[in-house]
Amino acid sequence: MYGRGDERFRSPETRAAGTSVTDGCSMTQDSAHPAAMAPATFALAFGASLTPMIVTDARGHDNPIVWVNDAFLNQTGYARDELIGRNCRLLQGAETDRQEIARMRAAIGAGEPIALEILNYRRDGTPFWNGMTINPIRDEAGGIAYFFAAQADMTDKRRAESAMRGTNDELERQVGERTADLERALAQKTALLHEVDHRVKNNLQVISSLMLLKARRTPEGEARDALQNMAERIGALSTAHRMLYSEGDVAHFNLSDFTGDFLSDLEAGLDPERTRIEAHVEPIAVAAAMAAPLSLMIHELTTNAVRHAFPGGRSGRLTVDGRREDDMLVLVVADDGIGLGTAPPNPAGFGRSLVEMVVRQLRGSIAWSEGAPGTRVEIRVPLQGGA
Amino acid sequence: MTADAAPSGPSLRILVVEDEALIALELECLLDDLGHVTVGVACNSSEAIAVGRATAPDVALVDIHLVDGPTGIEVARALAADPRTTVVFMTANAKRIPDDFAGAFGVIAKPYSERVVASTLAYLAGCRAGRPHAPCPDGFHPAPACAAAP
Repeated sequence: MYGRGDERFRSPETRAAGTSVTDGCSMTQDSAHPAAMAPATFALAFGASLTPMIVTDARGHDNPIVWVNDAFLNQTGYARDELIGRNCRLLQGAETDRQEIARMRAAIGAGEPIALEILNYRRDGTPFWNGMTINPIRDEAGGIAYFFAAQADMTDKRRAESAMRGTNDELERQVGERTADLERALAQKTALLHEVDHRVKNNLQVISSLMLLKARRTPEGEARDALQNMAERIGALSTAHRMLYSEGDVAHFNLSDFTGDFLSDLEAGLDPERTRIEAHVEPIAVAAAMAAPLSLMIHELTTNAVRHAFPGGRSGRLTVDGRREDDMLVLVVADDGIGLGTAPPNPAGFGRSLVEMVVRQLRGSIAWSEGAPGTRVEIRVPLQGGA
Repeated sequence: MTADAAPSGPSLRILVVEDEALIALELECLLDDLGHVTVGVACNSSEAIAVGRATAPDVALVDIHLVDGPTGIEVARALAADPRTTVVFMTANAKRIPDDFAGAFGVIAKPYSERVVASTLAYLAGCRAGRPHAPCPDGFHPAPACAAAP
């Protein structure tokens, strides 16, 4: 029985003439292909192919190999007479996937084509990944006479895949490590920011307390007024700082929030029957760097007005308007008091020079004008890169 | 401005918990101007809790960062356990306050103005006297639980 295929399926070089590999094979019916090659030509081509191929006898005992090409011998390291008559399982070994083998058996049992990739072993015991397709070959009566299998060594592909997986794992590990590093750095930066923010605010409170304590211990007069004025300026800076970072936005502060809080503080020290303060400030986001100069400026203009515009029990109104015009912040502080011309000259004039200094620092412009009545100050400051 | 902060409403007995001596001293002066009584000044947690137990103040103004670390939270929790005491944080470190405010009524953010201290204490006195519907002063941030039902 083993000898049945020996003659017919020998490789072209050794095959005895007069037999054909394609006997009974429906795929080579000449009538279907007018220009088809003779069956012998197929046998020659398959035998010389670099793709390892085998044919097994479906009707033989234990499905024995009846034909192999040289490429298959090269791939497995076996001699032809070591393979002919044997079942293909001699290529299997310890690491061969039993489930895949079961799948292959089921397909062969059912007479269906199958493609699979299993670990096989060469004659010397070295493993290789064998990717194969197995097709049943039917005779004219429709029964399965042979199985034909073409193989390819997939070891390199497997190795490349495995290397790729390794590379991916390594990349993921590195990305993970760097992300963790960045997260640590960010947490440190956030903690530092909290700490600095806390210190700045606490120090402002200490400075303000220091000023006020000294003012309390200073007899009424110029020195005490000066101390209290300084404490108020620090208060204005403090209000700006309290606004900074309170909403988590480190880069901006809201001008209307600031003026709201600041003017409430200013109003608390005034007689509500005499002096009214009205503010219309749009919620403009101002760069944090501008917070301190702007708050000082608003402080000087408004305190100057309430202090000097309404002498001798005169009542009046102070308005603060803030709006955005394109990239400019336009701030107007106006009162209906006695006006600049009639007010007694301020010997120190510190407030006004402070305002002009700050406007210069912010690269803005300032216009003082006589209102009807009172004083009107209009300040225009660029909102981008002004500080 | 200090002279204008006239006493308003009932006098409160107040414990000041603050590690910066200058801030504590100035705050004491301000409370005095406002007509309140400072029953004690403490700069660390154990002192604060001891003085709190001994005096049962109406109000405790508590900084979070004290001489022995960020212990103001536990001080607030201990002092607020006494129903006679209303705890208010006064801190530049409001982000450290836990979600439940450690039993405190709210927080005055540093740097504060004297006006906010005055209006907050007036508001507190009103709440303690059973007038909880006065408008909450700006600059004072009530704890979420107290904002709903002071």
